[in-house]
Amino acid sequence: MDIISQLQEQTNTIAALAFNTFGTLQRDAPPVRLSPNYPEPPAVPTDDATKFSEQPKLLSASLVKAAKQFDALVAALPLSDGGEEAQLKRIAELQAENDAVGQELQRQLEAAENELKQVQELFSQAADNCVNLKKPD
Amino acid sequence: MATATYPPPPPFYRLYKDYLEDPKSAPAPPPPIEGTYVCFGGNYTTDDVLPSLEEQGVRQLYPKGPNVDFKKELRSLNRELQLHILELADVLVERPSQYARRVEDISLIFKNLHHLLNSLRPHQARATLIHILELQIQSRKQAVEDIKRRREEAKRILKESLGTLDGQ
Repeated sequence: MDIISQLQEQTNTIAALAFNTFGTLQRDAPPVRLSPNYPEPPAVPTDDATKFSEQPKLLSASLVKAAKQFDALVAALPLSDGGEEAQLKRIAELQAENDAVGQELQRQLEAAENELKQVQELFSQAADNCVNLKKPD
Repeated sequence: MATATYPPPPPFYRLYKDYLEDPKSAPAPPPPIEGTYVCFGGNYTTDDVLPSLEEQGVRQLYPKGPNVDFKKELRSLNRELQLHILELADVLVERPSQYARRVEDISLIFKNLHHLLNSLRPHQARATLIHILELQIQSRKQAVEDIKRRREEAKRILKESLGTLDGQ
């Protein structure tokens, strides 16, 4: 895939990671005591609690990794600082060179075809002479 | 009752009955369309240009101007995005009812990112064209060399064979 499509995919990946992060944390967060007036919230089983407390670290690590990959892709952009005019000038130069080489190719091709016709003509004459000179058995 | 699966082809083919004998007796193909046209009830335009962000009602975060430094702007937008995600996490903890503004900011940054990437496409197209032209020039030069070499070889073989025939 070309680099710009990869960059676009990477931005979409970062967006997906962001809303997955917030969605998961909001959905799975254990209840928290907001004020002393409310009763203690029911305790959650301990291995769920440990699994949940690792979630923010893992999710944020993957988010930061995706952002770093985006930076790496940006660094890999082959952006020559020529701008549009420089590119158009180069295209015009290349077109002129292409036309010149094309005409040279055409000339060579025509010359080669002429030579081929001459050789074929001479060969057919020689073959005719051979046939005429050969004594019948 | 036999029904056809697909509609019949348009009846223009009858106009080309005598095309082999007289190519001028049939109508010429229609010229290419210019400007806007209607297709299946939808309006399309032939002029494909990327609409600027203001036309879509989105604020532009990176500086305008003739030559934008794409790498720098992409990197700074990436940093801004990360900061805004962190801010959103903060807001959700402290003042959960004010999430809407932060979410809007994050989506604005994404729209700017995608617009920047889309505006890189014409540059990519021109670079592809340059690459194709270079390849074509190279292959044409190669063909010229090949033809020259073959002609030289043919001339040499002819001279040799003339020599052997004369020596007979």
